[in-house]
Amino acid sequence: MRLMDPEVELTRSPAKGVLVRSAWQRRALTFLMVFGPGLIVMEADNDAGAVSTYMQAGGQYGLHLLWLLVVLLPICYFVQEMVARLGIATGKGHAAMIYERFGKWWGRFSLIDLLAVNFLTLITEFAAISLALGALGISPYISVPVSATGLTLMVVTGSYLRWERIVIALCLMDLSWFLLAFMVHPNWATVAHNSVVPTMPSGGISSSLVFLVIAIVGTTIAPWQLFFQQSCVAEKRLRFSDLKWARLDTLIGATFTVCVAGAMMVVGNYGFQHQVVFQDPAQLALALGPIASRFVRDGVLLLMVNAAVLGTTAISLASAWAYGEVKGWEHSLHKKLWEAPGFYATYIVCVGAAAAIVLIPHVPLQLVIISVQVFAGLILPSAIIFLQLLLNDQELLGDRWVNRSWNNYINWTIIVVLFALSLLLAAQVILPNLFQR
Amino acid sequence: MATMGFAPEINGFRVVHPLDDVAEQKCSSSGLGRIRMTRAVRISLGVLRAYLVVMTLMLGYHVLDLAGVLHKIR
Repeated sequence: MRLMDPEVELTRSPAKGVLVRSAWQRRALTFLMVFGPGLIVMEADNDAGAVSTYMQAGGQYGLHLLWLLVVLLPICYFVQEMVARLGIATGKGHAAMIYERFGKWWGRFSLIDLLAVNFLTLITEFAAISLALGALGISPYISVPVSATGLTLMVVTGSYLRWERIVIALCLMDLSWFLLAFMVHPNWATVAHNSVVPTMPSGGISSSLVFLVIAIVGTTIAPWQLFFQQSCVAEKRLRFSDLKWARLDTLIGATFTVCVAGAMMVVGNYGFQHQVVFQDPAQLALALGPIASRFVRDGVLLLMVNAAVLGTTAISLASAWAYGEVKGWEHSLHKKLWEAPGFYATYIVCVGAAAAIVLIPHVPLQLVIISVQVFAGLILPSAIIFLQLLLNDQELLGDRWVNRSWNNYINWTIIVVLFALSLLLAAQVILPNLFQR
Repeated sequence: MATMGFAPEINGFRVVHPLDDVAEQKCSSSGLGRIRMTRAVRISLGVLRAYLVVMTLMLGYHVLDLAGVLHKIR
């Protein structure tokens, strides 16, 4: 790794940029320029599946699982910080790095598994759009194609920054979850207590509680996030000096996401308090209409659509970036449609095919959801192992970027826990008889 | 080459967006080939292979179970 003398570099800095007077303005503006990938990757993880999982957690166990989100915050941050660091150091995506350093077999395995789990997840996102807008009286034959078209138009403008600004605006719309949480008047003392003190639900430890805990962990740390943020950081061409701001961006994103997830649980808890039985958030929203307000009902449904849209654009881009990197195609949102046809075709095919499948009558969604969990169980531990090994690759990264000892202790612990939970989740999904009491 | 994202000027600082800045020389893997097989790498990949084998066996069992093959054997 070669670093040029900063003095020489300064003379080569371009004339572009914004002139500011003070050091704090410089820091604030630099942060705002770097800000984006960390927030997007975290908030897009609160996708339709996450809304369903968190609201189900609130609906089934009230506020008892809030502490789990607080535990997951540092885990999310540590994993994604490694991804941002690797992206800044190498300027390449995760899929490309696996191919280059671990060979074709592991590269293909990771890529195929990633594409499969991402595609199946996209089907669930469009199913959520169909469900939520269906509850608002809009036919799936209108809502799904319109959403797919909008999601395509969002990326084909030939500008990364335009896409980023739209997506950050969508992320900020999730602030509305806090408004909904306030409107259902939870006991804030209990919320605060359960956020820091683990408490046991009245039924004690059951297989459904274990399943939900694992599902929350699996929802909060998803495999596509690793691929997405590294590619996004490379796409934004973040510089070595931007690392501290990328870390702050990731920390803000993780904190915001966990708080939004907590707000979803609080809204789900309102259903728990009123003994509402529901299978999905749309059903809960419809049941909440008469007892909370129409605003809460419509709010939950629209935020569910927002979550699905955020998830779809991020997951499809993770697939398109990964496939483009491995194929050696142009793979950048800076390029026009005709300059990176393979990259955009991958995105459009992912979005279009998932939308089309949802419109097929009687599509087996339960099978899709189970397949997502199985594929995620395969890809997450492997992707995270490769990440950890790459961040200990002295030959590639040199002393400056490799993990410190304390990083490794924390990360290996996280990896062991994720391995165990992934195995347990897969076992529970594949061999449900083992867990029946 | 390392850029700093800003350049000191007489009247203050010029802050440059990453997309407008001079490209940096990143850590490159070209010519390095595959990762060196240290003990940690070998053990990690071994554990990963074992994990994948267990997952595949579980999946195979589930498929056979769904197909009714295991029921016939029992």
